[in-house]
Amino acid sequence: MTRLPYRRLGAAMCIAALTLALAACGGQEYPNSTFIHNSEINTDIIALWDRILFMGTLVFIFVEGLLIYTIFRFRAKPNAPLPKPVHGNHTLEIVWTLLPVLILIPIAVPTVKTIFKTQAPAAADALQVEVYGHQWWWEFRYPQYGVTTANELYLPAGKTVAFTLRTVDVLHSFWTPALAGKRDLISNKTNYMWYTPDAKLAEDAFNGFCTEYCGSSHANMRFRVYTTTPENFESWAAHQKLAAAGSPAALAATASADSAAKKAPARAAIIPTPAPVPVSNVGYIFPESKLKSHNVPHTPIPASLTFDDALLASADVAAGHALVTNIANLGKAPCLTCHIIKGEGAMLNLSDNGAKGPNLTHVGTRHTFAGGLFPTNAANVARWIKNAQVMKPGATMNTFGIGEYSALIKAKVTAGLTDKEIADIVAYLMSLK
Amino acid sequence: MATTAAPAPINTPAGTSYAPGEATGIWSWLTTVDHKRIGTLYLWTALTFFIVAGIEAFIIRLQLMKPNNQLVSAEMYNQLFTMHGTTMVFLVIMPLSAAFFNYLIPLQIGARDVAFPRLNAFSYWVYLFGGIFMTVPIFFNVAPNGGWFGYAPLTTMQFSGGLNIDFWVIGLQILGVSSLAAAFNFITTIINMRAPGMSLMRMPIFTWMSFVVQFLLILAFPAITIALFFLQFDRFFGTQFYEIAAGADPLLWQHLFWVFGHPEVYILILPAFGLASEILPTFSKKPLFGYNVMVYSGIMIGFLGFGVWAHHMFAVGMGATADTIFAMATLLIGIPTGVKIFNWVATMWGGNIRFTVAMKFAISLVALFTIGGISGVMHSSPPTDLQQTDTYFIVAHFHYVLFGGSIMGIMGGIYFYYPKIFGRYMSEKLGNWHFWSFFVGMNMTFFPMHYAGMLGMPRRIYTYDIGQGWEQFNLWSTVGALLQGVGLICFVYNFVKSRKRGEVAPNDAWGAGTLEWSIPSPPPDYNFAKIPYVTSRYPLWDIKQPEMTAELTHTAPDAGVIADAHAVPMHEETQYYTAKSLGIPMPFPTIKPFFAALFMVLMMAGLVFIHLDLFWVAIFVMIGSGAAFVGSLYGWLTSPLE
Amino acid sequence: MATADTPAGHEGHHEHVHYTSTGLENRKIAIWALIGSECMLFASLISTYLIYKGRSKVGPFPHEWSCKTSNVVGKTAELVAGCAPADVLKPILDIPVTSQSTFVLLMSSLAMVLALAAVENKGHPLPAGAGWWDRCLASSKFWLMATAVMGATFIGYQSYEFTSFVHEGLTIKTNLFGSSFFTLTGFHGAHVSVGVLWLLTLFAIDVKRGLKGKNDVLLVDICALYWHFVDVVWIAIFTLIYLIQ
Repeated sequence: MTRLPYRRLGAAMCIAALTLALAACGGQEYPNSTFIHNSEINTDIIALWDRILFMGTLVFIFVEGLLIYTIFRFRAKPNAPLPKPVHGNHTLEIVWTLLPVLILIPIAVPTVKTIFKTQAPAAADALQVEVYGHQWWWEFRYPQYGVTTANELYLPAGKTVAFTLRTVDVLHSFWTPALAGKRDLISNKTNYMWYTPDAKLAEDAFNGFCTEYCGSSHANMRFRVYTTTPENFESWAAHQKLAAAGSPAALAATASADSAAKKAPARAAIIPTPAPVPVSNVGYIFPESKLKSHNVPHTPIPASLTFDDALLASADVAAGHALVTNIANLGKAPCLTCHIIKGEGAMLNLSDNGAKGPNLTHVGTRHTFAGGLFPTNAANVARWIKNAQVMKPGATMNTFGIGEYSALIKAKVTAGLTDKEIADIVAYLMSLK
Repeated sequence: MATTAAPAPINTPAGTSYAPGEATGIWSWLTTVDHKRIGTLYLWTALTFFIVAGIEAFIIRLQLMKPNNQLVSAEMYNQLFTMHGTTMVFLVIMPLSAAFFNYLIPLQIGARDVAFPRLNAFSYWVYLFGGIFMTVPIFFNVAPNGGWFGYAPLTTMQFSGGLNIDFWVIGLQILGVSSLAAAFNFITTIINMRAPGMSLMRMPIFTWMSFVVQFLLILAFPAITIALFFLQFDRFFGTQFYEIAAGADPLLWQHLFWVFGHPEVYILILPAFGLASEILPTFSKKPLFGYNVMVYSGIMIGFLGFGVWAHHMFAVGMGATADTIFAMATLLIGIPTGVKIFNWVATMWGGNIRFTVAMKFAISLVALFTIGGISGVMHSSPPTDLQQTDTYFIVAHFHYVLFGGSIMGIMGGIYFYYPKIFGRYMSEKLGNWHFWSFFVGMNMTFFPMHYAGMLGMPRRIYTYDIGQGWEQFNLWSTVGALLQGVGLICFVYNFVKSRKRGEVAPNDAWGAGTLEWSIPSPPPDYNFAKIPYVTSRYPLWDIKQPEMTAELTHTAPDAGVIADAHAVPMHEETQYYTAKSLGIPMPFPTIKPFFAALFMVLMMAGLVFIHLDLFWVAIFVMIGSGAAFVGSLYGWLTSPLE
Repeated sequence: MATADTPAGHEGHHEHVHYTSTGLENRKIAIWALIGSECMLFASLISTYLIYKGRSKVGPFPHEWSCKTSNVVGKTAELVAGCAPADVLKPILDIPVTSQSTFVLLMSSLAMVLALAAVENKGHPLPAGAGWWDRCLASSKFWLMATAVMGATFIGYQSYEFTSFVHEGLTIKTNLFGSSFFTLTGFHGAHVSVGVLWLLTLFAIDVKRGLKGKNDVLLVDICALYWHFVDVVWIAIFTLIYLIQ
């Protein structure tokens, strides 16, 4: 019996060692740490956290120390007299009723201050961003710029960003741990939050997550935040607002007068439009070289999903464009019933609120797709079109590969796309810059 | 009562798992109305579900052991974490507490049974059938998958069309019936069936904490009952409570759920507090320090527990004022909780501490709950909570509270009361293996989760990508879970083996001071051959160690009450008799509560057939079993109790 | 075996171990606990109704006129501008009719009090020169049945109310008001129905063997507590849902 306390000490030391080992693991990167001063909001939260942690550590050391001291000091000894039966002590009990009060007041006061500071209305000149949660991807709209994008959020460093948060389906929560706290997206309710990415931030990328359980692919609802200089941001936004570079719509818009521009989309929907020509001016794009390893998704793709990658090299952009945009092919490749590609499919008259899938106008400029789950490259996009559900559980995107089993319709796809057709579509999508 | 001739004792060797002269066999268990047997049934059943939930947790840990792991599918993972949470809360910790309520409350207050023995049996059977109803679907890949707090609108037909959520909604309704029926029973038992002289402020602290819990149950459960009815009506009858298109407010569910959910936290922890408060004094050889304050702080915790629900909702955007109010109310709960911890330490201070396994579990409750309490304060502050809520930090926090607090306390209670229940001690050696692997394993599992959470890991994710900085913490957690698994195996082996081979326990297995230790182990079916009148808070010490209670006020109840209750001076009972020879009327065993429970559960479960497109089967099952339920109830109410 | 021959004998203790800590019968404590719990149940239902008040997207509404084909809402029929007369939806709640049923339910509580008094006074001989009214007052059967009939009348009113609402276009599926209104009043109606069945059971026992003695007083007493509770809840519902606009 008397040996036991020493065993306990041993175990306690093991725990302490473990704790230290965990805390001090050098060389390990914590890209999503909440302890980085990247915005004024995070700085406020960290200041509050530090104070609570300090108080908590005091309490921890005091209580656990007292407990360990007590059980060592008063462990049973042979022939010890019966302890004095003490039933209580009013003074002591009043003291330790007040003790927590003394600990809690220094927490309560800055808490209230920080609540009101961080929940104050955002600055009037803030950059407005509307965040829409979808099962399971993110839509970002910049109403001041007329830009709609998905899963990748561009922010100018040093400028306050005011977020308006809404969901189109179930509850989600918008969180970029390294930049600020989270805020839920609630159906039939609009939420707000704001923060200012520090001016010191250069071209930095941050990972964001959905933190309200939202169904099958809750874990797969991720996004990236790219901070850059205000000039770069303006350049990016100015181009994202337009139709993709080199697309017929963009060419028409620049070449002819208003009336022609109005007619062009209508015509484009009926007659196969000419293939888009690659154009070099695509505005600012967050450089791939600045992405760190933790910003690049490594999600495995099931081996059962095969695709003849050789087809991708010889794919025909024009054919892909025709498949996607020609209304005659809508039964086969109904892309534009859910996705907006600016300048295409005007007949369908799809609005931002009506589009079920991400806006694809500049999909070629995005580094990730499918809720930040995969790097945007031809091989991945081709497999995604072929059978999205095996790549992302519960995905609402149709399965198009002929012969693939679709989890949505619970049957094999008979009227779909061949690998060749998919390759052509991918080539077209990748050209949308 | 036979008073003239002393009845002949039944002399059978001590140390059987059942009191001599008791009926055995399956039928005796199906028909039992004895609170001790029902308590034992709760214990066995809840431990079985504990193993199930443990396996679920272990699969979860294996899946998260490394990034992008593909051990289970997203769909299965979502079912696993939902069922792990739901099972641990509703099928493990609450029923384990109920096992102790059943077994101990009548013994601690000097009663021969609970107020409504047959209702008690009914509660148990409803719990068992409800538990099976909720657990079995996971083997068919249709288990609930909406998380244990099932936030609308994810749980509506629009977003969760399968049977999964149906099992959850109906299962929780069934379990609610069980909890409520038991709570009415225990409230009545504690208010009304105390032995003469046992005033409220002389009740053992476990009974006190249980008393508070019963009030929490009856006041908190209606809120979730209503929230679940809304969901059930939405899913089955087309109402629009959570229908977004109709303008519904999803926060309605959250408010109703957490009005229940936060008191529920105290429903889970207070019984463990009560058990620790029995164990710590016994093995310190001292009375509990500050009994009155312990009682008042328990009541305060229960009371404040109803005013803090929205601290689970700081991220939903309630506005700065509401956030402030709920944050301050939450901080207040730190005060009575802190008082309890200090009183426990003061109980041990100056004592003569014996480190039995039960004592180690009780001490670890104090140590681990403190950690959970401190991390609780960290997210009672809304700004910091916005970096913590729905991350692994929260997972770490509530496991310190519910594993470090509830489970460790209940495990201590099992080692402590095993000799009373089964007449034999559990093995201390195996118990030490169990304790240390639980203690080290749980810290290794849950402590790293604090780091993972603060470093950005959301909860309820079935997978995560490489390079997010969470790998090592998750690996540690999985290793810790393995260690806990070892501890669980030691425990189960010890629990099963000791029934036949443990060291035989006397009446007073540990030298405690309350009534349950004054009668044989295991207790005879009638509990007390003669109801003792209680003269102080520690009646057994009054006769065995009077110096322990010398400072307490002693009063003898007035003679009228004693005569009325046939009470006799405090004494120890060592012999087994038959209730008949003592002239004690015992409730008749009856199968009716079993059938009433079975048919009620079938009636509620029959609704599921509607979503299998078997409308008429549903109607047939519900009406048929509804009629059988009413029939069983009629039989029950018209047959004599004893 | 005191409880052997009581059909509503419940769980109870044998006459000779009737000692309890409070001196009250177990069942009485339990019914108070049940009522406490029921308070929270109705509090949740009423809160939901109030939270959803004014959130419905389509009519009919409780107190306002509305239009089937547009979102126009008005205080009077004329104010529902631009709505074809056939499409105008009346305010749903009919306060005069419900006031009648409320009055009946309130009166049933009085009858319940008299029923309990009659059972308690069983065995006391009627005073000399007792008239028909005294005999009537002493008849527990009469008052039990009267309470049950008034309860049933209330249910009848409620059925009428529900049917007419459905005819006016409000079902439990129509809008948030319909869902929360029918659920709330339906739960209350279910409680009244249980109470009526309970009263009829007591009446049957009274007819069969006569209710008298301490145990039977308790049987009626706990039923009365329940009945009064259900009544009080209705007052809350009537005030908050019907009267306050």
